[in-house]
Amino acid sequence: MKWIGAICIILATTWSGFEASRLLRERTKQLRQLKMALQSLEAEIMYGHTPLMDASLRLSQQLSRPLSWLFESFAHKLQKGTMNARQAWEESLHEVWKMTALKEGEFEIMKQFGETLGQYDHEIQQNYIRLTMVHLEREEGDAMEKQQRYERMMKSLGVLTGILIVLLLI
Amino acid sequence: MKAVFDLLPKGIVHAIQSLPIASQFTIEEIRIRIERPLEVIAGGRSYICPHVVQMGEGIELLNKLSQYSLYTIEEELKKGYITIQGGHRVGLAGKVIVEDGKVKAIRHITSFNIRMARQQIGMAVPLLPYLYDGRWLNTMIIGAPQTGKTTLLRDIARIVSSGVTDRRIAPQKVGIVDERSEIAGCVKGIPQFTFGYRVDVLDACPKAEGMMMMIRSMSPDVLIVDEIGSEADCTAILEAVHAGVGLFMTAHGRHMADVVKRPALRPIMEQAIFERFVELTNVGRPGTIQAIRDSHGRDIYRKMGVM
Repeated sequence: MKWIGAICIILATTWSGFEASRLLRERTKQLRQLKMALQSLEAEIMYGHTPLMDASLRLSQQLSRPLSWLFESFAHKLQKGTMNARQAWEESLHEVWKMTALKEGEFEIMKQFGETLGQYDHEIQQNYIRLTMVHLEREEGDAMEKQQRYERMMKSLGVLTGILIVLLLI
Repeated sequence: MKAVFDLLPKGIVHAIQSLPIASQFTIEEIRIRIERPLEVIAGGRSYICPHVVQMGEGIELLNKLSQYSLYTIEEELKKGYITIQGGHRVGLAGKVIVEDGKVKAIRHITSFNIRMARQQIGMAVPLLPYLYDGRWLNTMIIGAPQTGKTTLLRDIARIVSSGVTDRRIAPQKVGIVDERSEIAGCVKGIPQFTFGYRVDVLDACPKAEGMMMMIRSMSPDVLIVDEIGSEADCTAILEAVHAGVGLFMTAHGRHMADVVKRPALRPIMEQAIFERFVELTNVGRPGTIQAIRDSHGRDIYRKMGVM
């Protein structure tokens, strides 16, 4: 009986350790994807003159989940036409953010980006996209550093904490 | 009508619907001015609604016109109007931003003028005996603004492209150079009016260049152009005539004499290229024919009408 309990505890803590390290890894990955998405959006705006709705629908097909949901929900909200682009963007962010590994810092950057969406001509719109990219790059650097430093540590920390608890309880 | 109502903010739609207008189809213009009452022009009369347009409604309308992406209508903002689904046009006015002496864009748009485009199918049929004589004669339609020049031109395009069986007029290829997106009212290049099958449209293309492009690449039998006026247009017209293409075009003016006086158009007039001049007036109602003249300026409208 005792041993089964001990194994359960170790499994649980190991799992949470792995989950924590996965989040660190996912964050860098998703940040990279977000940057790519913005790059495609820039191309759509600058060369395709595509309206936001069509552009984000296309983006949602290119991206993988959960980021594709962000653009999908944004496009659907615009299609309904009950709110403006800023509101639609913000609501989509709120909906999707919980499902991503991204943090508060990125949320603020993306929210600010939403304020500029569709309000300006090509040139200014491009400047805002570039600015957002620079901000995201900074976050990406931060995320990568954290990943390198903590990814393996989280895994071992999970296993070791489990063993510690088990030892204390025995 | 639905295309327009879909764009308008709800408050404005309600205001229009509660007007004492016989039918929504008589509406000619809807004028939206921010912080001023809404004006609707229907059946030649102006109605002022009690509804005062708010800033927010103006922004909402602009957002919907641009599909929430202002950058897609940059070119339109430069020209001052947007063509929407159904061929209707929205004219814009506000603060103009100038760069190098040219209009760059309109910001802070405070006036919208929605002009309802209406196709009057069959409007040009009574004119056929004057305009067709074994082939389509080169014709110039002359009229002041709002006299129905473009509407007439549109119907001529339709008739040429679909032909007339009772008069044994065979359908022919029509090329429309639509610099102001007014004749065909294209949305994403697709004409919004009924034209028959044999119509090719160069949308938003400068006239002079567009006419040459059409002749070179699309081999039209008849070219249709709106509002000629510059010298470059003239050169292109001369080219087109020598290429054996029939021409239909419009020019601003009240009478043929006004057009003859315009310096830029002198070369065409001197060479007597146009065989028919249709003068339109809006006395009575838009599209009323005042006179049809031949190349010598003789009025042949009634004379042939009796025949």
